Amino acid sequence: MALRELSSLEKFLGIKKLNKYSTQGERKVPVLQNNNAQSLVGLATISCHLVHEAKRRELLGDSAEQRAVVQQWLEYRLTRLDHCSRDEINIILKELNQYLVDKVYLAGNSITLADMLMYYGIHHIIMELAVQQKEKYLNVTRWFDHIQHYPGVRHHLPPVLKLPFKKR
Amino acid sequence: MAAGTLYTYPENWRAFKAQIAAQYSGARLKVASSPPAFTFGQTNRSPAFLSNFPLGKVPAYQGDDGFCLFESNAIAHYLSNDALRGSTPQASAQVLQWVNFADSEIIPPASAWVFPTLGIMQFNKQATEQAKEEVKRVLTVLNQHLNTRTFLVGERVSLADITVVCSLLWLYKQVLEPAFRQPYPNVNRWFVTCINQPQFKAVLGEVKLCEKMAQFDAKKFAENQPKKEAPSKKEKAGKEAGKQQPQQQQEKKEKKKEEKKPAPPAEEMDECEAALASEPKTKDPFAHLPKTSFVLDEFKRKYSNEDTLTVAIPHFWENFDREGFSIWYSEYRFPEELTMTFMSCNLITGMFQRLDKLRKNAFASVILFGTNNDSSISGIWVFRGQDLAFTLSDDWQIDYESYNWRKLDVDSEECKTMVKEYFAWEGEFKHVGKPFSQGKIFK
Ligand SMILES: N[C@@H](CCC(=O)N[C@@H](CS)C(=O)NCC(=O)O)C(=O)O
Repeated sequence: MALRELSSLEKFLGIKKLNKYSTQGERKVPVLQNNNAQSLVGLATISCHLVHEAKRRELLGDSAEQRAVVQQWLEYRLTRLDHCSRDEINIILKELNQYLVDKVYLAGNSITLADMLMYYGIHHIIMELAVQQKEKYLNVTRWFDHIQHYPGVRHHLPPVLKLPFKKR
Repeated sequence: MAAGTLYTYPENWRAFKAQIAAQYSGARLKVASSPPAFTFGQTNRSPAFLSNFPLGKVPAYQGDDGFCLFESNAIAHYLSNDALRGSTPQASAQVLQWVNFADSEIIPPASAWVFPTLGIMQFNKQATEQAKEEVKRVLTVLNQHLNTRTFLVGERVSLADITVVCSLLWLYKQVLEPAFRQPYPNVNRWFVTCINQPQFKAVLGEVKLCEKMAQFDAKKFAENQPKKEAPSKKEKAGKEAGKQQPQQQQEKKEKKKEEKKPAPPAEEMDECEAALASEPKTKDPFAHLPKTSFVLDEFKRKYSNEDTLTVAIPHFWENFDREGFSIWYSEYRFPEELTMTFMSCNLITGMFQRLDKLRKNAFASVILFGTNNDSSISGIWVFRGQDLAFTLSDDWQIDYESYNWRKLDVDSEECKTMVKEYFAWEGEFKHVGKPFSQGKIFK
């Protein structure tokens, strides 16, 4: 899964060079093979590296504060989202929903790597949500829909229908 | 791609719509908002202007190809790209819907509420209260719509967002204090996101949201009143609020013209001029700088009245405050395009004119070297502060990109020599390689 994510990220960033990846351990942690230098381990590390390579630093936040917020969400993704149990899903959705009340993007006023990796990581959860839940977590639904429509982001993932608004 | 000039008075929210659209589409838009290019109340009443724009109102757009447009929404539409206009029939109709919504639902109550707080309309409690209620209704509609949406139409910024944001601008700046706007979190989120997009920011600058609801400004209102009996403010408010019948308007225009003939234009305080006058005048871009001991005016007096080499330059170096000022070398980037000497001189004086408001905080000597068809322009500028002052104000940016700017090390020999040569208009000018032709002083 992480490898497909990285490949989508590469496409989004317009990286042409062919990177070689493998995985490590039970959890299939991604590894970026680097012929003449040290290889890099871990989704967040590799993603940040790709962003730097593509000279798209703004995707890591455009101020010291925003950069910290981006890192916070990358960590959230890896430590909370990726290992959450069924019961925890609702807690996460609630947290995220509350956080997004007054925000369009997770950090700052434009899309960042935080939005992309959170979007990739939460996609399977949103896919499964019933309409009532999508309505309950309306801010998450809105954010998710915005990110999946952001040009170049969705690549390897199927679109998720927002809400059947038309009725009512 | 459209390219042209937008005529307006400065800080006009109607013009902002077109300016922001151009930021998104990449249309090359020059803004003529200050003399000599445009003087509100004069330029727009000149026969030349009226022949292109019969209403004499701004904003008005003239393309480099001669194409003319008035009405801010039409101009913004023209300067947009397909993504902004809405690329499906549904989307473009929705964009139109919100543009009309802004004009007919937002602007009338927004004007009725905000204008008295700017001192440009008489206060009427009942009218203000009614306007507040209407604003609440409008915000409720927007809040509901944005409950499930990021932007008004589709998933990207469109002309709908641009127009509605600009129409809400005065409300958010003047009266929508935190408690009043708190029930509309979706509108707030959307508004803040929009004004923080780089394309909005480039035009609007930093928008400070209202902290405390502004009240009727009676003092300013009194000041804004023309000396003689005004031809009824209400009538004018009506012009803004409810659109009058075209015929009536025509009549009014006629009447206005007759009345006006004997009186100089300055005497008539139109609501727009008033808005103009009520702009925070003291938006001094240098306000943030610490006090300085170097009195530029005194140096300028010395420079004008006494010998440059023996009095003015020594005075300069004795009193120069390196913390509060900086010295720059500028060089015209396109010397190969310079032809006749007099035209090159006009280039320099034109720039000085456009930088008029900078005079208090700058001094410069700019020199034309060489002869017809083989010349160069360079100069020494002394600016308040440590940064290039041009970026501090939009009005100042017109010329500065045509020059290369290099900050000089105040202690260097190079700087001492350049100051001496450029201020005195004599010396070797080693780096130039062309003889001195003419000098111009900005002071
Ligand atoms: N509906 C027009 C309104 C334009 C307008 O009223 N312009 C005023 C300035 S706020 C004007 O130029 N007035 C000059 C005059 O009436 O002579 C638009 O949106 O462009």
